Amino acid sequence: MDILLQQLINGLTLGAVYALIALGYTMVYGIIELINFAHGEIYMIGAYVGIIVLTLLTVIGFAPAHLALAIFLALLAAMLVCAAYGYTLERVAYRPLRSAPRLSPLISAVGMSIFLQNYVMLTQGSADKVLPLALPTEGIALMGAQVSPMQGFILLTSVALMAALTLFIRKTRLGKAMRATAQDRTMAALVGIPVDRIIATTFVVGSILAAVAGVMVALYYGSINFFIGYSAGLKAFTAAVLGGIGNIPGAMVGGVLLGLLESLGASYVSSEYKDAFAFGILILLLIFRPQGLLGERVPEKV
Amino acid sequence: MAENRTISFLQFLNRLVFLVTCLILFVGCAGKETAVIKIGIAGPMTGDQSKMGMDFRNGVQLAVEEWNAKGGVLGKPVQMLVEDDQRDPKQAVSVANKLVKSGVAGVIGHFNSSCSIPASRVYAEAKIPMITPASTNPQLTDQGLPMVFRVCGRDDQQGKVAADFAVENLKARRIAVLHDKTTYGQGLADEFKRALAGRAEVVYYGSIIQGDRDFRAVLTTLKAKKPDLYFFGGIYPDAGLLARQAKELGLTAPMLSGDGTIDVKFLEIAGPAAEGTSLTFSPDPAKIPTAKAFLEAYHKKFGPHGPYSIYAYDATYVLLSAIQEAGTTDGRKVSEMIRARIHQGALGTIRFDAKGDVTQAPYVVWITKGGKFEELR
Repeated sequence: MDILLQQLINGLTLGAVYALIALGYTMVYGIIELINFAHGEIYMIGAYVGIIVLTLLTVIGFAPAHLALAIFLALLAAMLVCAAYGYTLERVAYRPLRSAPRLSPLISAVGMSIFLQNYVMLTQGSADKVLPLALPTEGIALMGAQVSPMQGFILLTSVALMAALTLFIRKTRLGKAMRATAQDRTMAALVGIPVDRIIATTFVVGSILAAVAGVMVALYYGSINFFIGYSAGLKAFTAAVLGGIGNIPGAMVGGVLLGLLESLGASYVSSEYKDAFAFGILILLLIFRPQGLLGERVPEKV
Repeated sequence: MAENRTISFLQFLNRLVFLVTCLILFVGCAGKETAVIKIGIAGPMTGDQSKMGMDFRNGVQLAVEEWNAKGGVLGKPVQMLVEDDQRDPKQAVSVANKLVKSGVAGVIGHFNSSCSIPASRVYAEAKIPMITPASTNPQLTDQGLPMVFRVCGRDDQQGKVAADFAVENLKARRIAVLHDKTTYGQGLADEFKRALAGRAEVVYYGSIIQGDRDFRAVLTTLKAKKPDLYFFGGIYPDAGLLARQAKELGLTAPMLSGDGTIDVKFLEIAGPAAEGTSLTFSPDPAKIPTAKAFLEAYHKKFGPHGPYSIYAYDATYVLLSAIQEAGTTDGRKVSEMIRARIHQGALGTIRFDAKGDVTQAPYVVWITKGGKFEELR
């Protein structure tokens, strides 16, 4: 029982991170039908900014004393930097290709992903970057399982962010405009919605979520490298497809589900096939329910 | 397309070099006996392992310079031919062919087991002795090639030292074994497990994916088996994350690992969780009396020594003294001499068994104490 509970907690933490990144994929896909393959790199950049800010704060003697505030500052810095990266990415790599065939922005996305990865490798080095401070690791015992403070932090932050995002999409004018643009871009433009600005906003919101995920992962694992965006991006993309790409609650469900499947699969089936398990489920789902768990079957647009 | 062009350009270069070499040979040394004794050095000289390759080349260079200062071998100066195998098995084979063609009397190399094993067959065919300073996979000398030697240990010896330490010093009775599915990691973990047979119970045997960051799922399962100790066969980045996450999950069993973990990055990544972990590696040269002269000379010339510099140095001495005493560069006779002689090197006394392995396993246990690796005495 306690093992199952522990694996559920491990899986939920992993899944919360996947879900946060998956939201960025699904929002962009929902609005311009583009798989933004560079999104994983935005998450990686967020992790780097987080570690760099925390290192600076440790050097000036601020960090271990005011830990909560230091983490908050790191999150804020990462969100700002990633928002700028997300905006620039859309401006430079996708907007000029808005009316090009669908394959062109996709190739542009792959190119940006490779570019950002190598750019970080060249400027930050290829060795692992290590978190400069020791975080409290003493877990809280919960019915025989251990919940580490970071796991609690990740779970709570993710839930709060997902709730905020849902409110933002449902209740605000900007959210309404985003939904309208996602439904029909031409129609939205005709009724006076600044479509380009809405698309840019979508990239910025997705990047902010990825930045938070990046900083939390850097804190959780204590070390990062320039390559983490690749595998995390792949998993998050899988999560988005699992939930139904373009569907926001779908990305959340898909992320959590993928995290749980990985943890339980690794513990009850075989740890060697942890990744194979996740992708195997994806293949099965694509065969039997190609639109994803919560996705709707969309007729081919002509 | 681009690749095709590069290859043909290389071929062109090769031909050019060949032509020029022919001309020089023709004009320069017509009828003369080879005036130098050539030895090959092959290892990863570029790329992510280039530091290891350089440490190793420097060790050879130091030995060669000492011999040349004393008048060389068989009255001829020794010349080093350094080749880069880029830690790529395919490259290792072509480099081996190149060294064979240039007529080396012996080879010091390669570094990675995955390179040494295919290259050893090339040298064996040409009857050229090969001594590796660093390849630990048992398969290398188990092939039964009579001219292959190593001055480092074998992973089965390493696994045995680790198993003895686990059972006798740490008194572990319930042991979990993890590896990273690589030739090295799994090989070492399996040897460790084999050496445990009958003395302790292996309560868990599993693997992780190299480069993954979340090992909590496997660690949770491992923890539930209540081991006294867990062994990891793998490299330092994964080992650091494992140690850290194990502690966060409340696993109190200490970690034991192999020589792949001895790197400062392990200490950084694991943080306080590194404390009390142990690993098997060769002894600290600073504590070997016979190594003193080597260390002084090396530090003066190249700066701090690498983990395998001293092995490369001793391997070179083994080869050159055997040539000197055999009185010939004939590979078969030199190999017989290498096997027959008792070598006094910087590491101490080196003897080879019939397979070409050193008779005494050089492994000792290192423990992490106060944020530093320390040899356990």
